[in-house]
Amino acid sequence: MLALMLMRVGLSALFIFAILLGGCGRNQRMDTVYAERCLSCHGPSGRGDGALAALLPVAPPDFRETVQRKSNAQIRRAIAEGRGLMPAFEPALRPSEITDMLQMVRFLSREGRDLAWWERFDALVVAHCSIPWETVLGYDEPPERAEEK
Amino acid sequence: MRYAWTTAVLVLVFAAGPRSFAANAPLRPGAERRIASTPIADFRLIDEHGAPFAFADLSGRVVVVSFAYTSCPDVCPLLTASLRQVQDALSPEERREVQLLTVTTDPEIDQPKVLLAYGKRYGADFASWSFLTGAPAALQKVWRNFGVGVKRKGRGLVDHTPLTALVDRKKRLRFGYVGPSPARDAVLSDIRALLAERAGAQGH
Repeated sequence: MLALMLMRVGLSALFIFAILLGGCGRNQRMDTVYAERCLSCHGPSGRGDGALAALLPVAPPDFRETVQRKSNAQIRRAIAEGRGLMPAFEPALRPSEITDMLQMVRFLSREGRDLAWWERFDALVVAHCSIPWETVLGYDEPPERAEEK
Repeated sequence: MRYAWTTAVLVLVFAAGPRSFAANAPLRPGAERRIASTPIADFRLIDEHGAPFAFADLSGRVVVVSFAYTSCPDVCPLLTASLRQVQDALSPEERREVQLLTVTTDPEIDQPKVLLAYGKRYGADFASWSFLTGAPAALQKVWRNFGVGVKRKGRGLVDHTPLTALVDRKKRLRFGYVGPSPARDAVLSDIRALLAERAGAQGH
């Protein structure tokens, strides 16, 4: 009886520990919000080597180092209000999503480079602002000429 | 045998590594310049101060129109920064004859106060640069008229044509720059060519 009780207590403790451990790591929401909003400039590791970074007049900083010196409130403010060319993500992101982004930034700065996690977001990342001009009205042919047909 | 496994793992790692951003880097610097000749219909929207805006009121002026949204993590910051460069390069006399417009592609998020904060962050001179939003139906007409495709992908996440357009004094769309960062000098040159046109004449 006592052994059974101890086993239950042990399992409960293990369960709670697993939840706490999971909370310190990464989850799907954090991956998604980072891939959608941060990856193109900050890159998969936060090093500032995203696909868009080369086009920026000022290179994004390697936040793995800079966030170590900042409080959660300071990082939240940067995410919500923007900084330099980085957009203000409030009100587009809800507070819980800003928390996810903050945790992802903390995670990357703590855990370091990770090469593969973002690859499943390829399609989503390249989808931004990529609709060609000519697909909508056909500007190679002025509308009045098209109307004559 | 152990070295063979290590070698195999390293080969796999390096095979995955070089994919990195080369595989999903469709963006190129600058913008493609295109010539057009499309009449732009009058439209009414709301500016960054919440005041009504009528395109008809800009009659006789050259108008630079950019399509962007404030929470865009993609090309919009570059588009708006390019527009700021153009505004900075215009002389006081030119600013009286040239109006800049940023038309949102995300009216769900971009309410007037959001646009006002956005414009301030970019150091816009609101005297000759308006940030416009409005009802989705009204905006859709504007997007269509300019040939801008807009596709909402989620809250605060919109795929759209990265267009900066020049409209002449007679309200004809004459030049389009498709891409993240139109070259300031090229845009200025086209603006000045349109300013030089007489009210009764058209360049082409």
